[in-house]
Amino acid sequence: MTHLDTDVLAEFRAGLITGRRGARITAHLAGCDRCTALDDQLAGVSVLLASVPAPAMPDSVARRLDTVLASEVASRDDAERARGDRAAESPAPRRPGGNRGFRLLTLRVLAPAAAVVVLAAGGYGLSRLVGPGGQVTASSSAGSAARAAAGSAESSGHAYAPAAGPPAKGAVSRPQRITPRTIVVVTGHANLSRAGLAQQVDAALHAPASGTTQAPDQLRGCVLRLAGGHPLQRVESVRFEGRPATLVVARTGADDTAWIAAQDCSATNPHVLAVTSLLSGISGP
Amino acid sequence: MPDEGWPADQELLRRHVAGDAEAFGELFRRHRDRLWAVALRTLCDPEEAADALQDAMVSAFRRAGDFRGESAVTTWLHRIVVNAALDRLRRRAARPALSAGDEQAFEALVAQDGDPARTSDTRLDVNAALRLLPPQQRAALVVVDMLGFSVADAAAILDTSPGTVKSRCARARARLLPHLAHLQGNRSDSQSVSPAQGGDT
Repeated sequence: MTHLDTDVLAEFRAGLITGRRGARITAHLAGCDRCTALDDQLAGVSVLLASVPAPAMPDSVARRLDTVLASEVASRDDAERARGDRAAESPAPRRPGGNRGFRLLTLRVLAPAAAVVVLAAGGYGLSRLVGPGGQVTASSSAGSAARAAAGSAESSGHAYAPAAGPPAKGAVSRPQRITPRTIVVVTGHANLSRAGLAQQVDAALHAPASGTTQAPDQLRGCVLRLAGGHPLQRVESVRFEGRPATLVVARTGADDTAWIAAQDCSATNPHVLAVTSLLSGISGP
Repeated sequence: MPDEGWPADQELLRRHVAGDAEAFGELFRRHRDRLWAVALRTLCDPEEAADALQDAMVSAFRRAGDFRGESAVTTWLHRIVVNAALDRLRRRAARPALSAGDEQAFEALVAQDGDPARTSDTRLDVNAALRLLPPQQRAALVVVDMLGFSVADAAAILDTSPGTVKSRCARARARLLPHLAHLQGNRSDSQSVSPAQGGDT
């Protein structure tokens, strides 16, 4: 028998050659140093490949995916709420899965109860709602509806957090609707990092704050974009891994979501450094 | 605070389908480094890999209700990512090889982990060698040899038979051997035995 070809040996190793042909290869290997060495090298290829550590996802990609995912979540919540409204208004059977988002635009504009949802669009059209001067543009009926709803539905005040001092237990859990007018930023002192972020945010939310400021236009756009219309729980200036950043907490469902917004985050550039969900008990009693 | 790995993947997916806003994010973050690895190594281009992973993530988010539990959730996720990556490769099939800029960006990305120099060198060579493979062989080898999936799981991920997975992996290993043999030098005492390329079968 001549020496074994690399392809044949590789197929043999993969279990693709059996029977008499396989037995011949086994017999040849038993007596041929050269082919045994080649066989060892082939085994070494798999060993070598297995030893290469998986490359960690770059932060830029992770941020991008987090942002896209937040947008997907917001769109779905939006769809669920609009579907709920539609179900309440008409006994039409619910459409299972799939195309449920397609009729939302009409619903958003027409249904007063869903008007706030316009702000929950999670990035779609939000930059149109918040103009460059920080004024809400009334150029679309959707914008008007949102503003009207924001003005009328608000009973819990404009501030999103206590002005100073440690928040009372449960204080941060009070849902507060987004208004496009002012967003109060708590001046915090937390220096957060990626590992164990949820617990750090929990601690930050219960730590004394030294004051508040009003969010400048860029930050307001960023916060509105991230919260996607969900009730804001807290906006706080923090440091994240040593760099200035903003903590944004919103009630996004049963749990809260906390985003760490980068300094350049805006309505059109939702630059998020990290995102975490806060399990029940953090903002609850 | 639950440990990583709990709740189970399938439970997270179930919660997501039931409307839990956080469940999918937790599930995806749990696996994203491996999903990134399979996309990056299959595509050999970080930009394309990021696009493919984004497509796959959105697809998985929206199609989670279609998951029937026939395979593990992680297998299902990898399958979606591999499909997205291979779709991109098909679409760019007419395009010529990577530009030098892409290559530099890729190597910079791959090298940025800060691993010891030897490992880093190995990886550059391995990644350069992977580019030599046809996409289907590359995907099979990445899934089986680099990510450690069983042949059966790899077949589910690659949507093909176990025999085809074995065959693709075997051809890929044989193809890579001449390019990677020098990296095995300190693994055993075997010197660079030149593979019997010229022989008959």
